[in-house]
Amino acid sequence: MSNCAVEVKNMTKVFSKGLKKSDYVVAVDNLSFEIETGEVYGLIGPNGSGKSTTMKVALGLMAPSRGSVKVFGFDSGDIRARNEIGFLPENPYFYKHLTGAETLKFCGKLCGFRGGELKDRIAELLELVELEGAAKRRLGGYSKGMLQRIGLAQALIQRPRLVILDEPTAGVDPLGSRQIRDLILKLKEDGITVFLCSHLLEQVQEVCDRVGIIFEGRMRREGPLAELIQINEQTSMTFAGAKPQLLAKVRDLIEAESDATIVEEGHPKTTLERLFISLSKSEKEEEERK
Amino acid sequence: MSQSPPSVFEPASKPVSPFSFGRVMVIASSSVTQLVRMKTFYFLLAFAAIIVVLMSLNPPTTPAGVLSTIKRISFGTMDIFAWLFAIVSTALLIPKDIEDRTLYTILSKPVRRIEYLIGKLLGVLFVIAVSLAVMYGICALALFSRESLYIAEELGAMQAGAQYSAEEVEAQIALIQQQGLRLELGIAVLASFLKSAVVASVTIFLSTFASSSLFSIIISVLIFIIGHAHTMATSFWLYQTDNSLLVELILKCVKIFIPNYQLYSFSHGIIQGEAVSYSLVWQMTGLTGVYLVVFIFLSLLVFIDKEF
Repeated sequence: MSNCAVEVKNMTKVFSKGLKKSDYVVAVDNLSFEIETGEVYGLIGPNGSGKSTTMKVALGLMAPSRGSVKVFGFDSGDIRARNEIGFLPENPYFYKHLTGAETLKFCGKLCGFRGGELKDRIAELLELVELEGAAKRRLGGYSKGMLQRIGLAQALIQRPRLVILDEPTAGVDPLGSRQIRDLILKLKEDGITVFLCSHLLEQVQEVCDRVGIIFEGRMRREGPLAELIQINEQTSMTFAGAKPQLLAKVRDLIEAESDATIVEEGHPKTTLERLFISLSKSEKEEEERK
Repeated sequence: MSQSPPSVFEPASKPVSPFSFGRVMVIASSSVTQLVRMKTFYFLLAFAAIIVVLMSLNPPTTPAGVLSTIKRISFGTMDIFAWLFAIVSTALLIPKDIEDRTLYTILSKPVRRIEYLIGKLLGVLFVIAVSLAVMYGICALALFSRESLYIAEELGAMQAGAQYSAEEVEAQIALIQQQGLRLELGIAVLASFLKSAVVASVTIFLSTFASSSLFSIIISVLIFIIGHAHTMATSFWLYQTDNSLLVELILKCVKIFIPNYQLYSFSHGIIQGEAVSYSLVWQMTGLTGVYLVVFIFLSLLVFIDKEF
């Protein structure tokens, strides 16, 4: 039995632009890739590269013009495939007249949950996305970050085996962004497959096991992240507590070799995001101490 | 040994049935909430105001004439509300879901498109049914109070002079009662409801391919108007042999594709105090069912392959 959560086989999607047969645009061209059960797969590419179209086909919102997309062995148009998928769109699209709790209730009921089981699940997810305090507020009054979090909660309501995330951190502040990334890693820990579409490359690099790079509807590179980003002809070493004399010796050793050169030397840097988060945390701790 | 509780994320989705009436009802109740929170029930206050104004008027006519006027105006208002609400709310709901992309969220859940369409239609029909019931209640109360008042007044006036026989008094009371509150008036309300159900199903069909709500509203109103000329079209079709090809084609299209809204006009007779033809009521109910099935099927044909 195949261990594939998602299987995209020679998928092509063509959109007609007018009434003429010759008036069309190829959004996705002969795309093939597989997502193994339990892995985090990132599909990256610039705007208009075909990421969203691929995702919509996987969700059954569109049918492929050629080829096939299967989710846990079911055709993507099959209702049983959608039963296994939790989807977080880039801009969460919900009824603004519903409250956070009502939104989860609505989505839960659509997935067959009722009564106490649904009530418990809603409470559990509201706690997870830290929206217990805003559960009774209408979504019209939610901020972008809050909408994204309630979107994530509704995506998880039916305990799906596959979670599809479209730009999950778009418009979210760095702390919220970090929370979402932690959630993705937690999903992976629990054996849930994650299909992530993003153009925030750093984010993809942090959470994905495998990555596909799509450009103009075609898969350009695909494989395990570590292999894709590795520069095979270079080696890096990071020292801690090395004295200048030791570094000088290492430099001399390398210079003595005719084939080897030092390409770069300096101090490793943190990211702006890590710096921001550590500062926010220390500020918060200091406030709490006061 | 006790089992550890499942993780928040642990996959355990429920088995999904090919068609679920439960999911239809979830979408229907969400549509009702949406319409209620759009404050659609405010028109009930307007209706109540119309009844209050009608009750305060004292036109120079017989008691039966006054009751007939109250009925005609209030039932006319109910009918206009029902079909207009059916067109506007149905034309707004689906395109709004598409425009706001709420449809993404719904259709990415295990929901069939037919369940979505039926759910939306049922939501609109529920709001219409509740509104008609409330309006009928207000109207019935007004009619009953006026009718009781007139009967008491007539009895008092006729018996005071002692110049009318018992039969004459009875005939006068019967005349008032004929224009007063009668059980058959419920069938007139049912006719308005069934007509608005057909109107809503036609509008759902239009909104599955229309590019804007305005287009759906305009075309639905046009179909509604043409649908009232159904008998005329049918009789032309049946009895005229010298029509031009174009005229004949138009008449055939009207006959086949446009619902016969004239079928529901028999309620005017009920409102005016005429007897009810129950065979016509069954015919009307049966044909409404056929129209609903046909238009939902046509809507599905368009909607099932629609890409979002």
